[in-house]
Amino acid sequence: MESLFLQQVFNGIIVGSVYCLIAIGLTMIFGVMKIANFAHGDFSMLGAYFAIYFLLLISGWVGWIGALIIAGIGVGLIGLLVERFLFRPLLTRWTDIDIIMVSIGLFIFLENGARLIFGTAPKMIADPFHSQGINLLFFSTSMIRLLCFFFSVVMIIFLQMFLTKTKMGVAIRATSQNRNASLLMGININFIYSITFVVGSVLAGLGGVLYGTIFAVFPMMGAMPTLKAFAITILGGMGNIRGAIFGGFILGIAETLGGNYISMQYKNAIGFIIIILVLLIIPQGLFGGRQNK
Amino acid sequence: MVKRSWMVWMAAMVICFSLMGNHSQLKAAEPFSIGILGPFTGSLAFNAEEMKKGMMLAVDEVNAKGGVFGRKVELIYGDTEAKPDKGVAAVKKLITRDKVLVVGGGYASSVNIATTEVCQNEKVPIVVAIAISPTITNRGFDYVFRTSPNSPQFLSGMNDWLEKVKKPKTVAFLMENTDYGRDGEKIWSAQSKKIGAKELAHLYFEIGDTDFTTQISKLKELKPEVTFNIASTTEAALIQKQAKELNFVTQWIGVGGQFTEAYFKMCGTVCQYAMGSSLEPTLAMKNPIVADFVKRYEAKYQKARPGIFSSQGYDNIMVIIDAIKRTGKLTGDLQKDRDAIRDALRKTSIELSQGKIEFDKNGQVYTVVPSPVQVHIVDGKPQLSIIYPPDRAGAAYQEPLPWGKRKI
Repeated sequence: MESLFLQQVFNGIIVGSVYCLIAIGLTMIFGVMKIANFAHGDFSMLGAYFAIYFLLLISGWVGWIGALIIAGIGVGLIGLLVERFLFRPLLTRWTDIDIIMVSIGLFIFLENGARLIFGTAPKMIADPFHSQGINLLFFSTSMIRLLCFFFSVVMIIFLQMFLTKTKMGVAIRATSQNRNASLLMGININFIYSITFVVGSVLAGLGGVLYGTIFAVFPMMGAMPTLKAFAITILGGMGNIRGAIFGGFILGIAETLGGNYISMQYKNAIGFIIIILVLLIIPQGLFGGRQNK
Repeated sequence: MVKRSWMVWMAAMVICFSLMGNHSQLKAAEPFSIGILGPFTGSLAFNAEEMKKGMMLAVDEVNAKGGVFGRKVELIYGDTEAKPDKGVAAVKKLITRDKVLVVGGGYASSVNIATTEVCQNEKVPIVVAIAISPTITNRGFDYVFRTSPNSPQFLSGMNDWLEKVKKPKTVAFLMENTDYGRDGEKIWSAQSKKIGAKELAHLYFEIGDTDFTTQISKLKELKPEVTFNIASTTEAALIQKQAKELNFVTQWIGVGGQFTEAYFKMCGTVCQYAMGSSLEPTLAMKNPIVADFVKRYEAKYQKARPGIFSSQGYDNIMVIIDAIKRTGKLTGDLQKDRDAIRDALRKTSIELSQGKIEFDKNGQVYTVVPSPVQVHIVDGKPQLSIIYPPDRAGAAYQEPLPWGKRKI
């Protein structure tokens, strides 16, 4: 017996899990570095293109897993360069608004660069399951969506363990809470910035591979996930990772249920209606913003 | 001394005149520009690129034969990003800054409804290449032409097939929330009422959406026999793929603009049984003009096969150049030349890759006839076949099988 309600909730959870991966990176970077990075979704786009080109060399299962690794490494390196040579020199001298402008410039640059280099034709990352469907008790879905969901959850758990159980993770959280106190405690802030930006970029890149496997890959693909990630970040509280996780799932489910029971036309608007409501009623977000002010 | 300075002046004047002479010669050899609108960036950029390829083939052919009145033809592009406001800005720039005599191209109905209005007000002839909303040519505008069939023309063959062959009892709609989507919806909704089919749902999505599981889950619950899917390449391909993932079976019917090279690459065999009304030039190989077009296209762009948009782009430019040539000569007066081109366009009668092109009194082509096509798997590869009317059909209609029973 299949239920439309459960089916839609499940559709939402799966889409939400991909949103989560992208939004966590965004919120981490905001929390630690105070950068609202509008080019964040374009790191996902780059990850997806890394995967597409890697899959030309090796196809099938090995190719897909290899593509995830290559996309993670590739986007991580790009993130490292962007942080070191673009954002870090600006952080001490420029205001927040300037840096937002720079990130919008980066977004335009990456998108149009991708258009020139990769071409405008939409592509798909080859699904190792060949879109095979699967019937679960109350709903049906595809193997690849299930895999993406589990992969996202595992990544989120790993990240949580990294942030709570390792020295580096504690240092990142400390920097997020109070930059000056962390400096006094002997934490190398610049190093923490690099690590945070790289981890955020890697998550975005991996999210991009999942997104590109379930959906499609094209130079503009980063724009919508960026907007959704901002909606999630505001919903969960700026800089709050747990908020981003719950926010991602809440947005995914709200979109599918809203689309089904309210109106398909306004499916995408739901995320932005949520932003407005959150800002009006609980401006600090569901889980509170960063604690340091 | 006076005499010498007089001579200097004379020399200077001679030089001046000779330079001016040179200049006017230069002007005669200046390329002749045609303004081209299209979504060259944004999610429809790939299809605009196809259109551009067809156009470039036309321009190369004309220039190889000496151009227009001894001048080379050149295209000036205006990017509409598939957004009406950007389209209006782009066409205004073409008209006022680049001073083009005629505007071609255009893609996406919502954009063309806006840009044709600008051209009408500015008295500049515009020939729309790709857009099917009837609104574009039914407002009594006398500077507006269209080389693509409008949606009633596009869908009449499909409507016949629905009425006489398929006779569905239940139908549903899944379409773009744009003029393209809503005009198709109107026509098919009227047809459904006519043949007594029950309309189960009208579901929309936005251009650029990627997740359609919400819509498909709902459709799966309703089980329509036929689902009208009015979408472009990317969205249509994703819908086919996600329908397989959710194990949903229906007879998909699209308008036909989705069947591009990228669509087949993205879908693979997942798009088996999908239908549409199409003008793919490769389908009418019996026609020597079309076959020749395909050959020339494949010679210019290695390994690429011409799709509907490249063929429509080619014809669009050829119609414009044919009209300019028939004006006899250009006066140099912008408005007079624009009017002369408009008058020449009205008398167009030319055989091209889409068939014969003649305009009715609204500037709408009425001689191009699309046919219902279905995706069949031949030797493991998807291929479009005309399935109706019987005198043109190349294959028989195949009923969609459940996913488990498909051989692919």
